[in-house]
Amino acid sequence: MKYALVTGGSRGIGRAVAIKLAKELEYPILVNYQSNDDAANETKTLIEAEGGSCTLLKFNVANQEETHKVLDQWSEANPDATIEVIINNAGITRDGLFMWMKPEDWHDVLNISLNGFYNVTNHLVQKMLTNRYGRIINLVSVSGVKGTAGQTNYSAAKGALVAATKALAQEIAKRKITVNAVAPGFIKTDMTAEMDEKELKRMIPVNRFGEAEEVADLVAFLASKKASYITGEVININGGIYS
Amino acid sequence: MESNLIIEKVNEFLVEEFEVEIEEISPEANLKETLDLDSLDYVDLVVAIEATFGVKLVGEDFVGVENFQNFYDLIENKVNS
Repeated sequence: MKYALVTGGSRGIGRAVAIKLAKELEYPILVNYQSNDDAANETKTLIEAEGGSCTLLKFNVANQEETHKVLDQWSEANPDATIEVIINNAGITRDGLFMWMKPEDWHDVLNISLNGFYNVTNHLVQKMLTNRYGRIINLVSVSGVKGTAGQTNYSAAKGALVAATKALAQEIAKRKITVNAVAPGFIKTDMTAEMDEKELKRMIPVNRFGEAEEVADLVAFLASKKASYITGEVININGGIYS
Repeated sequence: MESNLIIEKVNEFLVEEFEVEIEEISPEANLKETLDLDSLDYVDLVVAIEATFGVKLVGEDFVGVENFQNFYDLIENKVNS
């Protein structure tokens, strides 16, 4: 059986993507999450309510040993299964002015967004290469494309992921594996819940925050066979705030 | 495992999976050129070796592997270590 893995899939954009892939592409979903059991179980319930199948995999993508252990255990228990789609979505923000940024705020953000991509994708890509088909989609951010003041750490992590997307895409395209990045702007999630939407939407041409489901629609397209000729791309989904 | 058996097994999966004629394989023949390997094709070699002999190879193991004899030696060393 062929599966799709969504890291950071318990809430927000990750949850919306997990539901969408189950519903529209009919993949059984592996939802990775780090700590929020309630949110992860809710995602599982929502996927199953759509007639999909969901397995929860609890691990911290920043921890290589733990990541490999959980993925290997799952593979051993499911010897005929292959992970055909990887959605690298796990990420955190630790915003603040760079001059006052604590080392842990720098490293935590890079460890999850950037090293998490390495820890998961590097471990799974060999099997994907052997299968000669795959989709890797990295959730980045407008911050990783244009940079955002107060998010030097987050912008660095996502910007690096943009570059990694382009490099890996060229490396493995021959094996029918596409690698793309999706760069959302302001999307209504827990991550933006504290923001003043009324004030911020003034600078968004579309004049509103985006919905997680709108991002999920784009990811689902890139994850489908219809997107076979798109690779190494960074696709903005930001209401026109940056292009 | 004895050398002859290793060579026999290696040649068997090379013929099967890399669509090479057995006559093209000789100890002195260039591995990369004979099998028409690009860098990604080494993944298939690694997987085939693991499936056949139960040993894992990494990219660095292939440094210095030019011909089939080098390749047989590499596998023999791994299998018997």
